[in-house]
Amino acid sequence: MSKSHPPLTPDEARQALELIEATARQMRRFAAYGGMAYFLLLWGTVWLLGFGANHFVQDPAMRGRIWTVLDLLGLAGTGYVVWWLHKTRQGIRWGFGSTLGWFWITWMGYGLLFIYFAQPQDGTLLSMLLSLWAMYGYVVSGLLFRSRLLVGLGLTVTAFIVVGYLALPAYFNLWMALFGGGSLIVAGGYILSSWR
Amino acid sequence: MGEFNELIHQPVRLRIMAALHALPPGSQLDFGRLRDMLGITDGNLASHLRKLEEAGYILVEKTFVGRRPRTYIAITDVGRKAFEAHVEALRDLLAWEGEAGEQPPSP
Repeated sequence: MSKSHPPLTPDEARQALELIEATARQMRRFAAYGGMAYFLLLWGTVWLLGFGANHFVQDPAMRGRIWTVLDLLGLAGTGYVVWWLHKTRQGIRWGFGSTLGWFWITWMGYGLLFIYFAQPQDGTLLSMLLSLWAMYGYVVSGLLFRSRLLVGLGLTVTAFIVVGYLALPAYFNLWMALFGGGSLIVAGGYILSSWR
Repeated sequence: MGEFNELIHQPVRLRIMAALHALPPGSQLDFGRLRDMLGITDGNLASHLRKLEEAGYILVEKTFVGRRPRTYIAITDVGRKAFEAHVEALRDLLAWEGEAGEQPPSP
């Protein structure tokens, strides 16, 4: 093995750098997208239906039941996807090990504590806080996975949440169904279509 | 200043190192996944991995998932630094070209 000044032309160096960049991009894409699309499609659908119910269903008790069922389906679906990825893909063993899992567990615990003690009486405020809380989880996960797409998606939906809450409070739930759930579904669909 | 590395510069090994370097530190990549990504045979990949492993640039771990044997590959700290130095050397070469309009002195 020799280490010295590069015995190659600038064109060869450029080609090597392009090869490196293309391979790294392919790897990052695989690493970031493996399974992520299914989570986004799943939770995008949960948001679309849940916030849609908030807007269109008059009975608060019924809205609560719909959200409970959707969240349980979302959690069950998440568990299934995690199991399926573990069984079938086996592509990467992450260096951060169980950090991601512990992050989501503590994220859930702290979120529940905040909501329990803050006790927001306004349903729209509660929806806004829960949505922001979810997007915080997406951004942190994106940072761990080094996924610019996931970080960008989290920040974009966060902007939608803030704009919708401040500018269109009367239509916040409809706004969130379309732009919150819709963004997650579009991102998941984009990943699936571009990856395959 | 970077350091050109002939072992790493071979195209297949360059792609192996680029792929492993793109993962978060400490992460491991499945042998089959790497083979599919590179589009080469098992034997060819194993041969390149052996050279990189002998240089201390990667770690190869053989394990079982259920009853199925699996091989995982990770870049080492030494490999990460060598790869980054190599990339820097390539960039230096282009920078020299840009600044001087001519090639750097040969070794």
